[in-house]
Amino acid sequence: MLRLCHIDDVPKGATRGFLPAPGAPRRVIVLWHDGQLLAYADACPHYRGGTPMAWRTDAYLSGDGRHLECHAHGALFDIASGDCIAGPCLGRRLTKVALHVDEDGTILVPDHVAGRGGSER
Amino acid sequence: MQISGLDYLVFGVDDLVGAQRYLEDFGLAPVDQDETGGLYEALDGTGIILRKRDDPRLPEALSTRSMLRQQVLGVRDASAIDAIEAELAKDRRVTRLADGSIEFRDPLGFNLKVQITRRRPLDLPAEKINAPGAPAQRAANEIGVWEDMPARPRSLSHVVLFVPDMDKIVAFYTGRLGFRITDVLTGAGPFLRPAANDDHHTHFFIRTPEYMQGCEHLAFHMGGPTELMVAGSRFTRKGYQSFWGPGRHKFGSNWFWYFNSPLGCHVEYDADMDKHDDSWVAREAPSGPEASQIFLLQWREKWAPGGGPEGK
Ligand code: FES
Ligand SMILES: [Fe+2]
Repeated sequence: MLRLCHIDDVPKGATRGFLPAPGAPRRVIVLWHDGQLLAYADACPHYRGGTPMAWRTDAYLSGDGRHLECHAHGALFDIASGDCIAGPCLGRRLTKVALHVDEDGTILVPDHVAGRGGSER
Repeated sequence: MQISGLDYLVFGVDDLVGAQRYLEDFGLAPVDQDETGGLYEALDGTGIILRKRDDPRLPEALSTRSMLRQQVLGVRDASAIDAIEAELAKDRRVTRLADGSIEFRDPLGFNLKVQITRRRPLDLPAEKINAPGAPAQRAANEIGVWEDMPARPRSLSHVVLFVPDMDKIVAFYTGRLGFRITDVLTGAGPFLRPAANDDHHTHFFIRTPEYMQGCEHLAFHMGGPTELMVAGSRFTRKGYQSFWGPGRHKFGSNWFWYFNSPLGCHVEYDADMDKHDDSWVAREAPSGPEASQIFLLQWREKWAPGGGPEGK
């Protein structure tokens, strides 16, 4: 398991992107949704290998705040499921990342998250 | 049809404040900026017009979520507008506005406007380089780079569209608006330039399903590759997300660096694009990493050798 961040690093109502290890190919997007912590690989499924989705640091939400958005071509993703509901990757979905939260609030992710990342299908 | 290129691209966005800040940080100058949007100009006065998605002044949206609402094309004089109006009125509605410009839709529903160009002539040197065997372009004691050197977009260069019906749109731009095809990426689509512009492309079309129709990216010309690198590095350090580049395309020979944006498409710095005339014969290459670039680099934090061996 790799330390991603601390639970206090993720404010309610915002999204944050963290590198699981220095030089990792993909960030992990973490956010609170309905009282639960959720995480996805920062890898839009539009193009092969997956590409980063924010338009600036930590800016992963759509303009109206209701979806995750890829700011390459505006694909929208359901926050709870990661399903693309509009845009170029319609029918595909973001890759969920399993989170483990320690008693002291440290958020950990599986080692493979820092490997060759991306999502396909 | 003497179209000289893009004057403006008009967007209706969800996050207006974010988009305004984005375009300013990109290097465009706000004109008439207020809480409903504004014009964001390159040095020659071309640029992006930003509004809220639901602004009633905007032309109708596409049925997809695309935020691109209109392309504004420039022509030299009123007679060129008359000629386009006469041609297009044969089979579609052309609306004449009070300022003499005309509005119409292309066969796929993209909204277009043609006006007497507002592009201001620029009188600026290109990036100067020195090379053995050629006369020096920079005089003695004239330096090439300095920390706060200017690196602002000079001119709106091109727009790339996702199009669900390639045959229809190509027939319209070439047959009715007088564009030339300069090169073709098979599997993606053609590069086009209008008759009164010698840039390799002001338009590039990419074939996509209907639900994707919209804008893939737009680009601004910089004064040279160094300005492109400097502007892109500064933009990256402000926290903006690089998507592809820096690198140099093969078709068009232009340097490129693409960034994500809150406009629903990429925004690109480009530099040093090829020029063409009507004697040019279009090339064709299969679209993919090989045909797309002569080389591709990736930004990293400044680093220099030094400091001695680490970790004993
Ligand atoms: S890369 Fe994400 S929508 Fe195109
Ligand atoms: Fe481009």
